[in-house]
Amino acid sequence: MKKVLSFLAIVFMLFVSVFWTKNVYAQDTQNGKTAMSEMLLAYYYPQTDAKSEISMRIVNRQGQVRQRRLTMLRLNQTSGGDQSYYIYFHEPADVKGMSFLVLKHPGRNDDRWLYFPAIDLVKRIATSDKRTSFAGSDFTYEDVSGRALDDDGHELIGEENLGTQPCLVVKSVPKRQGEAEFSYRKFWIDKTTHLSLKVEHYDFKGKIYKVYETQEIQTIQGTPTITKAVMKDLENERYTEITMKNVSYNVGITSDIFQERLLRRPPRQWIGE
Amino acid sequence: MGKVCSFILIAFILAVSVSEVLFAEPASLDSEKIGNIPRDERKSPDAWAKVFDSVHGFIEAAYGPKFSGDKLTQKNDYNLLEQRLQLKVDYRPQKPAWLASWNPEFFYKGDLLSDEYKETLRYQIREVYGFVSPLSWMDVKLGRQILTWGTGDYLFINDVFPKDYESFFIGRDDEYLKAPSDAGKFSVFSRLVSMDVVVIPSFTPDVSIRGDRLSFYDNFLGRIAGEESSRIFTEPAVQPKNTEIATRLYRNLREYETAIYAFKGFFNQPVGIKNESTKEVFYPKLAVFGASIRGPVPSVGGIASGEIGYSDSLQDRSGENRLIENSGMKYLLGYERDFPKDWRIGTQYFVEQMLNFDEFKTNSQPGDIPRDEFRQLLTFRITKLFWLQTLEASLFTFYSPADIDAYIRSRLTWQANDRWKLTVGANIFFGKHDWTQFGQLEGNDNFYIRIRYSF
Repeated sequence: MKKVLSFLAIVFMLFVSVFWTKNVYAQDTQNGKTAMSEMLLAYYYPQTDAKSEISMRIVNRQGQVRQRRLTMLRLNQTSGGDQSYYIYFHEPADVKGMSFLVLKHPGRNDDRWLYFPAIDLVKRIATSDKRTSFAGSDFTYEDVSGRALDDDGHELIGEENLGTQPCLVVKSVPKRQGEAEFSYRKFWIDKTTHLSLKVEHYDFKGKIYKVYETQEIQTIQGTPTITKAVMKDLENERYTEITMKNVSYNVGITSDIFQERLLRRPPRQWIGE
Repeated sequence: MGKVCSFILIAFILAVSVSEVLFAEPASLDSEKIGNIPRDERKSPDAWAKVFDSVHGFIEAAYGPKFSGDKLTQKNDYNLLEQRLQLKVDYRPQKPAWLASWNPEFFYKGDLLSDEYKETLRYQIREVYGFVSPLSWMDVKLGRQILTWGTGDYLFINDVFPKDYESFFIGRDDEYLKAPSDAGKFSVFSRLVSMDVVVIPSFTPDVSIRGDRLSFYDNFLGRIAGEESSRIFTEPAVQPKNTEIATRLYRNLREYETAIYAFKGFFNQPVGIKNESTKEVFYPKLAVFGASIRGPVPSVGGIASGEIGYSDSLQDRSGENRLIENSGMKYLLGYERDFPKDWRIGTQYFVEQMLNFDEFKTNSQPGDIPRDEFRQLLTFRITKLFWLQTLEASLFTFYSPADIDAYIRSRLTWQANDRWKLTVGANIFFGKHDWTQFGQLEGNDNFYIRIRYSF
């Protein structure tokens, strides 16, 4: 009888501990997902619309520099949901005047168009692969316009100070392995601004190969905004620095402008030059 | 041979300056030194600097030797040897107030071409136009401009605007496939449907292959001809009644772009014979009606497109006149998809159907080019980017099972840095018969190299 009781007690304790760990794990997952969702909102969705001038310096192993200068307009159709992006290239000279229209739909493929002014061609771009490089930089399309929250499982794995900033550390693992070139990513998300201050990318051998770092945050119209960041490719010893200038929010962009007309006739009131 | 030497010399000078540029831009992670200074502060506020700043363009040297060739054209060893300077400038006046409120833009783009093949120095205005929005829902673009619409990749049904196939076949940049039109383009926009109306008062034909640079099948001679081809081209007179009009109505239905098109004007190719004995050809009257759709393919991914067009040969509607091209239908299906690691493939299936084919057969005479009722054409494009998208390899193939001919267009483009670009490529033609679209060009196989500095 004693033996049966002790057996029952052990079974009960096991059950409780499994339940408890599972619950804790579920909570970490929940917390991870919340943190990530807050990050996505803070980084990709602040305010209703935004205009920014973006400069990129792409530096390769030999130290050769390529520059990109573009203006980006963004409009949220719904918070955390559909968005419209418009990008106008100012530099380098051979792509000057090219423009790019993206209608982002989380959950399905984006609609993308590219306009080549020299031949007056509006080209529809296939978008099956979001992990390709954006404009030849170390950033991918997904880095620029955001990866869908539900494409990864997110787990809060700790809290850590990055410099003086207290951060949540979240591990994100793609739900469909092999879909991305990383096996998982680790985010350091600033507790106060919800912006990610550092992102480490790990390959399938578990080796870190790419690091994103926020270098400067400014508060613009009450919104903490990343104005300088770098993406380092450790394997190929390359990096891309990105600088955001003249950022302004709620400039009055409306959804009806995101049409073919915008590509053929750049909106000078926002992109200048 | 002197030309080749001068090309090599230019290439050498360009190469030396490339290396200078490459080494002149040391980078450091310590971006505080250079990277962080806003551009505008780096530049002097000098007015001339501002003007100079707004001028852009490129210089380019190009050389395209022929593989072996049929030695019928003006130069036998090559069909491309030229240096080009392109300048473009954009001006947006802020005064007077009434004009400024129209958001005006004036644009100029011109090429100075030292063409050693033709032994000429030519100045060509590619674009010069004014662009205004007199109403919030209306744009007007007046002047010389490049016009493009439709869904094809190097294949055109409703894009009735002039092309320069000579440039296309000898290895010039893709930009030169499109020839400019002197036109007015009036666009109105609404949520329901948007519309473009293009008015072209003075007809511009395609740049025809005439035998001087590319040999082709001359139906008057009944064989492949080069320089000795002596066709006389008659263009429609510049008269109000000869004004061409092209319209497009379009709207997006969810993620699908749909459009319908209508055009009244002339064939861009001299597909009419005015006088057989004097070898006079002309551009017959033409109307085109068509439609297109383009959008993502559910579940599989990629972009699919479909386009259709009815060409109404207005001067030979019955098809009984053997000297004028018949009416026809054109059908196009396209599919393009990207894959990880910067791979991209595209394929197209194109069918051209001659209408009134029985009349064509009945009225054909010995010596006329034999034709099928249906001409099918398949294209296949494969593109891959390397080295962080700085090297692009691309292969485009046209293949016609009906004509038994093919055209392979391969190209390698290396963007050495933000200013220098090196392109090498080849144009190769195959064909069983001398008279088919690509078969007639068999003697013009070429390789080319282009070096471009953009500013």
